[in-house]
Amino acid sequence: MSDYSLPNPGTIEAVVSDEPRGTLLETLHEWVITVDHKRLGILYILYSTFFLLVAGAEALFIRIQLAFPHNHFLSAQVYNRFFTMHGTTMVFLVGMPFLFGFGNYVVPLQIGARDMAFPRLNAFSFWLTAFGGLLLYYSFLGGGGLYGVGNAPDVGWFAYAPLTARSFSPGHATDYWALALIVSGFGTFGTAINIIATVVSMRCKGMTLMRMPLFTWLMLVVSMLTLVTITPLTAAQFMLLIDRYLGGHFFDTQAGGSSLIWIHFFWIFGHPEVYVLVLPAFAIANEIIPVFSRKAIFGYPAMVAASVGIMFVSLSVWAHHMFTVGMTSTSNAFFTLSTMLVGVPTGIKIFNWIATLWGGRIRFTTPMLFCIGFLFQFLIAGLTGIMLSVSPWDWQLHNSYFVIAHFHYVLVGAVVFCIFAALYFWYPKATGRLMNETLGKWHFWLFLIGFHITFDTMHFLGLLGMPRSIYTYQPDRGWNFLNLVVSLGGMVQGVAVLIFAYNFIASLFQGEIAGDDPWDAWTLEWTTSSPPPVYNFEEPPEVHSRRPLWDLKHPDDPDWEYEA
Amino acid sequence: MVNEQNLEQGNGELIEIPAGTAWPIILAFGAMLCFASLVTSIGVGLVGALLTGCGIVGWFKQVFPHEHHAFVPVVRRRFVPASSRRTVAHIQVSEVHRAYLPVESYPMVAGLRGGIAGGIVMIFPALLYGYLTQHSIWYAVNLLGGAGVAHWTNPSTADIAAFHWNGLIVATVIHAAVCSLIGLLYGAMLPMWPKRPILLGGLIAPLLWTGLLHSILGFVNPAFNARIAWGWFALSEILFGIVAGIVVTRTGKIRTHQALPFVLRMGIEAKEFNPPKGNQP
Repeated sequence: MSDYSLPNPGTIEAVVSDEPRGTLLETLHEWVITVDHKRLGILYILYSTFFLLVAGAEALFIRIQLAFPHNHFLSAQVYNRFFTMHGTTMVFLVGMPFLFGFGNYVVPLQIGARDMAFPRLNAFSFWLTAFGGLLLYYSFLGGGGLYGVGNAPDVGWFAYAPLTARSFSPGHATDYWALALIVSGFGTFGTAINIIATVVSMRCKGMTLMRMPLFTWLMLVVSMLTLVTITPLTAAQFMLLIDRYLGGHFFDTQAGGSSLIWIHFFWIFGHPEVYVLVLPAFAIANEIIPVFSRKAIFGYPAMVAASVGIMFVSLSVWAHHMFTVGMTSTSNAFFTLSTMLVGVPTGIKIFNWIATLWGGRIRFTTPMLFCIGFLFQFLIAGLTGIMLSVSPWDWQLHNSYFVIAHFHYVLVGAVVFCIFAALYFWYPKATGRLMNETLGKWHFWLFLIGFHITFDTMHFLGLLGMPRSIYTYQPDRGWNFLNLVVSLGGMVQGVAVLIFAYNFIASLFQGEIAGDDPWDAWTLEWTTSSPPPVYNFEEPPEVHSRRPLWDLKHPDDPDWEYEA
Repeated sequence: MVNEQNLEQGNGELIEIPAGTAWPIILAFGAMLCFASLVTSIGVGLVGALLTGCGIVGWFKQVFPHEHHAFVPVVRRRFVPASSRRTVAHIQVSEVHRAYLPVESYPMVAGLRGGIAGGIVMIFPALLYGYLTQHSIWYAVNLLGGAGVAHWTNPSTADIAAFHWNGLIVATVIHAAVCSLIGLLYGAMLPMWPKRPILLGGLIAPLLWTGLLHSILGFVNPAFNARIAWGWFALSEILFGIVAGIVVTRTGKIRTHQALPFVLRMGIEAKEFNPPKGNQP
């Protein structure tokens, strides 16, 4: 660690803009009408950061309620609303927008393009997503509806039928949930189309598919997967609205419908959605781990193949969420085996990341620390996933806190860790300033400790039989101490996120000047200024290998000599 | 940023980028209001429809007949590629390194053949066990295949000893798949045991595997565990290992990619072994 300095010297130029700053109104207007992929990417990220804080606050309220038995901090109804909104927010308003935000910002820069293929569609997609989120949260005000019952969705993020029928969920809270997801789903759809078109048609000269940065490759895979998975969810939401308002009976078991149809539709979306969220996390790790290991990624072709493999396999595993509904033994066997099969390409990735680290000169910067945390946690998440893929095991633990712990290991331990890594990694590119490393390390260690206190303990609560979605419990169940520990871990994570939020804002004004290439990295986004100009590159770049900036830095030993 | 009208007056180089526009946000807001009107009021829907209409028309005017562009003056700058590390380390490859890795191996098909042969042979002690203890050759078949027949809730010994198509099919699929995969693994691992491969692969490994299963099956599936005769199980495993080992070792070895430098096999750079490829600038 001693023979490098950060930021990378030699690329730092004084960043002094001689352009006069506009008034606040002019600045706001510029951002509202923008079709620039970088600004839209930043808007996505700011929007997601805001909802990350909101959903985090909801999680803390949930944990305060569960910290003690027979607690009355939240009523049962409010508790139901909070866990519904927490789940919905984290998946649809935090995870996906964050990752599409990074995709928006980074992909055109990495492939040497001036913008996305459809800049106006890009803006439209963002605003649809944003308004979808606002519509969801407007339900707190408007969800009472005609009957004054309920003021926010309280049916869980999966909204199983028949709970969503009007008889059981009167008022409009459930409608807001469905409508918000339809609106934001169209936005997601637009962004996915845009990323595919951009990657397919706007790569710079010399950038063949097998020279694309892995981040871009994975965003392409994610976008294709999104197109397939958002469709059944949107269709199911329309069917739900037809059931609720036009006398349809899709999910009405009393009139020939089937609540199982909803579960199938939801999980045909829902499980690939996990990969829609985690593949961009892989993408982020693919960029950060090699840069801070000072080695090229190990096994690039295998990484590409594994990503595409995950996309296909993930489309055939959805019913492992349904082992307890009573499927045939053939179905149980099929979905057990197909779920286990996902372990093959993900295992390839884990081994390749470890092989990249192996023998490297590792720099333990904050983004790298988050990626190392991700590696360990994703491995554990994968192992508990394999355990849950075995149907008899799942029969025992379905809907218990073991499942909650497993998917939080994926969604927080992998996805949120990588999101933080990406924020620290690309923040200097977007703002021209580095985030404070000391505060970053405080953030990392506190978040890591809080994460493990919370979610390791949660596994044991599940094994002890604590079911999910209960708002309180009897004091004689043996869950008291562990629940208190879980809640305390949540508080530690909350403190860590507050440190991050402070660092994020303070570094904007006081952060060290980053220069164009603060991490001594290799992809095209680091060849342009920080922040990049609106046109990205003065001249369209031309690449000859997977690491064009390496070639520039080491003309005596360029990568194109070795790449097949 | 300058407008199209100012293009001709502009001095210096300009780059064309898509012009900013408010129509996407107006259209998105209008669309959201249209959906929201389903749970609010018709007035919200009317405003939404109006905004949607305006958004569509405005957006069309943005791109038809000519797409609106803005022209941005280029600020020329010089990117100086710099790295804190000027020296590049290559992984050193030596023949000594190769000594730890198999330079020759059996072809994959040898493992497959061994697995199939071993799988066929191990059927006989299993059937014999069923015949001697329960007077039915189907007992062992159903013990294996019953794992895939979920409607067997607490089957009696007589049930398991009887013939069931489901049990036979599932057992055959499981047995064939597992034997083939183990055979492949076996073929791949044999070169790592240069001395007494049959002893290690045919005897010690099956015994270890049997011991592992014996120690955990009681937790994983107590009912299944109660019906397994571990002596017969170990005998089948050993027979499988010996037969598969013999079949694999009788097959000729081929040189593997292990004979190539590590750097080449793994796609890592190695200048001295890899002639220049790809586009050279």
